[in-house]
Amino acid sequence: MPLYGYAGKILRLDLTQRKAIVIETEKYRRWGGGHGMGSALFWDFCKDKTITDGRHPANVCCIMTSPLNGTIVPSAGGRCEVVGVGVGMYPISWFTRSGFGGRFSTMLKYAGWDGIVIEGKADKPVWVDIRNDQVSFRDAVNLWGKDTWTTQQEIWRQIGIQPETKHQWQDLQELELLTKEQRKGKDQGRTTQKSAILTIGPAGENQTAHASLIHDAGNGAGQGGFGAVWGSKNLKAISVLGTGSIRVADPKAIIRARMVTKEKYVSSWERPDLRSWTRLGGFPRPIIFVRPPTNDRRPQSCQGCINGCRTRYNVGYGNESSCQETAWYGSFARKVAKSPAENTEINLRSADIVQRYGFNSFLFQTGLHWLEHLYEEGLLGPGKKIHSDLPWKEIGTLPFAEKLVHALSAKTDIGADMADGWVQAAIKWGREKDLHTGAMQFSYWGIPEHGYDPRAELEWGYGSIMGDRDTNTHCFNQIFTTVSAAFAFAMPIRIEAEEMVNLHARKLSPYAKGRPEVLDFSDANMYSEAVAQLVRWQQHYCRFFKQSALFCDLKWPDFYSTNTPNLEGATASSDAGEQVFWNAVTGDKLTFEDGIELGRKIWNLDNAIWVLQGRHRDIVHFAPYVYETKYEKGELFPFYMWPCRDEKGKWQYTDLMGRSLDRGKFEEWKTIFYKLEGWNTKTGSPKRSTLEKMDMKFAADALQAAGRLGEEEV
Amino acid sequence: MNDSQDRSSGKITRRHFLLGAGALSLAAAVGADLILPDNMLAMPNSEGFLLVDLKKCQGCGTCMMACALAHTGVASYQLARIQIQQDSFANWPEDIFMATCRQCQDAPCVDACPVEPVKANRPHPEYGNVRMIDQKLCIGCQACIEACPFTPKRVQWDHVIERSQKCDLCADSPYLGERGGPGGTQTCVKVCPVNAIAFTRIMPDQSLEESYFVNLRGPAWGKLGMSTK
Repeated sequence: MPLYGYAGKILRLDLTQRKAIVIETEKYRRWGGGHGMGSALFWDFCKDKTITDGRHPANVCCIMTSPLNGTIVPSAGGRCEVVGVGVGMYPISWFTRSGFGGRFSTMLKYAGWDGIVIEGKADKPVWVDIRNDQVSFRDAVNLWGKDTWTTQQEIWRQIGIQPETKHQWQDLQELELLTKEQRKGKDQGRTTQKSAILTIGPAGENQTAHASLIHDAGNGAGQGGFGAVWGSKNLKAISVLGTGSIRVADPKAIIRARMVTKEKYVSSWERPDLRSWTRLGGFPRPIIFVRPPTNDRRPQSCQGCINGCRTRYNVGYGNESSCQETAWYGSFARKVAKSPAENTEINLRSADIVQRYGFNSFLFQTGLHWLEHLYEEGLLGPGKKIHSDLPWKEIGTLPFAEKLVHALSAKTDIGADMADGWVQAAIKWGREKDLHTGAMQFSYWGIPEHGYDPRAELEWGYGSIMGDRDTNTHCFNQIFTTVSAAFAFAMPIRIEAEEMVNLHARKLSPYAKGRPEVLDFSDANMYSEAVAQLVRWQQHYCRFFKQSALFCDLKWPDFYSTNTPNLEGATASSDAGEQVFWNAVTGDKLTFEDGIELGRKIWNLDNAIWVLQGRHRDIVHFAPYVYETKYEKGELFPFYMWPCRDEKGKWQYTDLMGRSLDRGKFEEWKTIFYKLEGWNTKTGSPKRSTLEKMDMKFAADALQAAGRLGEEEV
Repeated sequence: MNDSQDRSSGKITRRHFLLGAGALSLAAAVGADLILPDNMLAMPNSEGFLLVDLKKCQGCGTCMMACALAHTGVASYQLARIQIQQDSFANWPEDIFMATCRQCQDAPCVDACPVEPVKANRPHPEYGNVRMIDQKLCIGCQACIEACPFTPKRVQWDHVIERSQKCDLCADSPYLGERGGPGGTQTCVKVCPVNAIAFTRIMPDQSLEESYFVNLRGPAWGKLGMSTK
């Protein structure tokens, strides 16, 4: 029986030996795809799972697709998952994940590969050239030092891809760099497309903690520092060109469900509701945090997306950057810009800078405020305790942005101290107290707070600390942004609090179905079993549907929608729910709950790896400021609106600012969470009984051999 | 567009003729009303055409993948009858090109098909004379691909089965689940998230490549802060 939705092969790249080895996907089919398969591959191929720095030669980095990639499943066709041990986290760089969009995963599938397992280290810089089943290791010495955009264009030139947008079909066997045998081999087909390239820039080459992987102009895998992982392996880029196709189980059903999505759940172009409350069903709008520089632009999206969140302009800067990278310099640029137009230009050109350097600007999210604080306190600067020759007086200008990113990418100036991680630098500089005062808001695992403070938005914070990184999963977060924006700008509340939580509860199967109280983040409920069930649901949903099936985080789950008469979104629906698409592509008979259960298995496998790396419940805690100071200054709004029950049990949108977490009560909440997960409550380690019920005896055995298996409890 | 509704109605108003030894047989195959004096055959106009808005497309490739799915049951770029090309490093609007078959009045790809007695590539009277390739008749000579004068070629080569294929306005799309072709559904039109592809029965000006490029950006587009010009 064919593996519907899969290419059928996984490519194992042994950089040390410069060998390309084929793995049959079938062996890993039980894990679904994406993160699940990546975790299983890491488990099998990483020989030392105690490593805690992704730059270790034993680290294995997997670039994974899903069966849905390369298809028209709405906002699931073009995501790609990256897993491996990360770089720069604190106190331990966990086995972690990142993801990016665009067309890389689609092209990889069409080239015949479900994923790439990268292991070993090349003796000198290489890039990998994949054209269908032809895999070649190429010298990257001439690419080393080049930025991510130049690298991609140079690879296109070396391959012989025509430089124009509109160009003729190209026969793969007539492109450059091929051997005689490859030219004479079987017909590899033709394409009108440019190869899809994933690459690192100078930040990755220098193995800095803030290094990302970049594809096209603006798709980046930032968190996790995977750029540094590639840099440590002397891997500059992977270029993929595919002319194949993917068999699906039921093409009619896929097309029908896609049409239903467009016609039922997405805003109508004929009767546009520009202020609809929906995730999947909005219009294409760039998620940028400045005014667009021009109306002469288009939306731009990942493959298969139903409403693009990026944009390309005619002004020559800012193309494809979205979300955080368009805001990392915002509050600083605003101080020096003489006009809104100049503010936009500084911000979008600053976004270009981080894209080109392959720099994870998310670390600036709260990090740059901290550096400015050190400068303003007279602690950082020329001749100061923390010596820096950077022109800090010019912060907010474009030249300063480039000098800063350059220093941190090249490990010069303060970049030398920060290359191993920001909290590590704080310790080196004697600034641990900044994690107590909140001057340095790196909430969890040495990673900045995301703007969704753990003292307010509990599922975000709790999910992050129970996981491996800033969770960056927006399953419920739109409640905050939508409702707070409505309050801030006096816009109509389209869905009242009680209806909002009930709409969610209908779809929170199995743990929280019909339990709206799981969304009650009031002081009275914030350490409850109900909130633990919500966090579990989010982690399990994301590990499968979002990070393995690769439904886009910004569009799914779709709990509610003002586009439909009953306000229900597409998630878990019988006509266009996640499981409908999964089954149409793969031929499975997966229920929505089956997907959550598979996510639980993947989550447990991840936790087994974390435990082998050294995780214990004692180190699972937030940065001290989360407990010791109150959340009083929001990044987006001066309040944090969320549905809560009042003393009489009535639901209303309530401001969650002004509180801190109680350390003792949070520890009690952790116990509840561990118990629900079947993990030992004293250590947080998975128990054999839990793992074996999920057919994961292999993980239990490995934990036992390492002396890290969680003891059974009554 | 400079043609009239009457001109694109499918009536034989074409001045271009197909000549050759198999002409009579072909005429019989496609319908007696196509037989003209002196053993000359007229190529009836297609009754439908695709129009695109190059400034609107979001580059999601959904049309390509859906096209391949509807026709062949597999997801693919290469097997898509519509090709979306983009350069991530170019600026709007030169960053995207949408290549659709023009259903040419003269249709050089039809002209070039050497298959006898019935051309593999021919206007199909049951489907509004859309120019279609019958892969059961195609001999894989690629003459139709060579003949297509556009960049990129609007006839695709399926290297696995070694046959040509082209846009048929979804006339033969067994996996679409509804009737295609002129008068029916065109998958790419229906699936495009931003409605950057449209169907028309009015033949665009054949002398200009640009006549297939139209402005499909309505008021909602402007309200989203994007140019409608």
